[in-house]
Amino acid sequence: MVITRRQIELETFLLISIVVVGSLYFAIQKNNHQPQFSFASGISPVSAPAEIISPKITVAQQISPDGEKKVIMKVTENSDNTKTHDLSTADENGANEKFVFTKILDSSKSMSIPFNTWSPDDKYFFIQENAGENKSIFVFKATGESLTDTEKYFDAADIFRQKGTGNNFAEATGWASETLIIINSKKPDNTKGFSYWFEVPSKAIIQLSTEF
Amino acid sequence: MGYRKIKENNKTVWHYFKIYFLSLFLSLSVFAVGSFFKPQFSCANSATCKSDLVVNVDNNAVGVFQGRKVNPPKVDLAMVTAATSVLGVHVSNEKKHIYVDLSRQTLHAYEGNQEIMQALISSGKWGRTPTGNFNIWQKLPVTRMAGGSGADAYDLPNVQWVMYFHNDFGFHTAYWHNNFGYPMSHGCINMRLIDARKLFAWADGPAGNQKGTAVSVCDQFKRPGTCVQNNPVN
Repeated sequence: MVITRRQIELETFLLISIVVVGSLYFAIQKNNHQPQFSFASGISPVSAPAEIISPKITVAQQISPDGEKKVIMKVTENSDNTKTHDLSTADENGANEKFVFTKILDSSKSMSIPFNTWSPDDKYFFIQENAGENKSIFVFKATGESLTDTEKYFDAADIFRQKGTGNNFAEATGWASETLIIINSKKPDNTKGFSYWFEVPSKAIIQLSTEF
Repeated sequence: MGYRKIKENNKTVWHYFKIYFLSLFLSLSVFAVGSFFKPQFSCANSATCKSDLVVNVDNNAVGVFQGRKVNPPKVDLAMVTAATSVLGVHVSNEKKHIYVDLSRQTLHAYEGNQEIMQALISSGKWGRTPTGNFNIWQKLPVTRMAGGSGADAYDLPNVQWVMYFHNDFGFHTAYWHNNFGYPMSHGCINMRLIDARKLFAWADGPAGNQKGTAVSVCDQFKRPGTCVQNNPVN
């Protein structure tokens, strides 16, 4: 039997066609089964409505002694057990709100607005961060501007520690004047130590003869 | 030897009488002198306590406190005197009474047995705040206070919402510090402006035969009738 050239071409065409059709079939089958692989754990492939979890938000604020300004701290509880602290200042009626700072803290830390947070002239305020026994006192400009060219804020407690007074930082009670924060210290044996002024913006630590 | 001789050293009973009366005289003298020099609490602001118990506005002056310059707030006397009552919007016939707790640095305003205001204050640090029972004898919307000496000298114009209850000891704002809850004054009761303004609007000064609102300064206070006063001045 003699196979003609035309027969060879026809058989080749048919073979290629079968391969292509077969490939297409398996490809379509594969695509049709794809979703089932994704939900192999047994979860219904029917799309469920997404669960909307509203983050818990608390707001704390402290008005200035003259009643003109307030500092606002919005705390958002995140799903990873951290908390986002957003600080801003505003007029007493809420107008002119200015964003100042944001910080995310893990659950072992917290931030609070002290009662005497505002400087008497409403130009500065300070916030306390608590991490167990360790405290930080962050001093900000009320306008949200940086305190210096390179520093957004000062940590008065940390600067006090670096000063090496021989006493440990205990607390910041408030403002002795427009630029002086009162710091109380404790001695290494935990008895009351000297009181100091922390001066903004010079960052000077000044020991006082009287205790506050 | 006569019967008046007691001991072998020839001391008589008369001799011991003399010593006894001399000792008694000295004791009484020391007590009298000591009483004379006990603190009289005559002045909180030594430079202005007699001369400046009047309304005084100076919007161009610079204040001094703790050896540092202080910028006093600008005061519009017309607006100050037109300030309306905040706590006093409701009419009450109950007796008003202000209590100060020096141990906790708090102020409590009562109408009868109802507490209507509580605030942190700053009492005397460089001068003692007198304890005792008083009445507001003068209300000034704004005045000047000065006193002290050397590094402790202070001169503070435009002090607002002043209510004197004992000589020049009184309630007033303190725009030069924000350390309420801790002693910071020369004997007066410092308050935040927002608190002092409310208290001023609510409390009464003397009118006719009526005394001003009662004030009790206590070493410890919990509620009316439990004001502990050690060494009160009256």
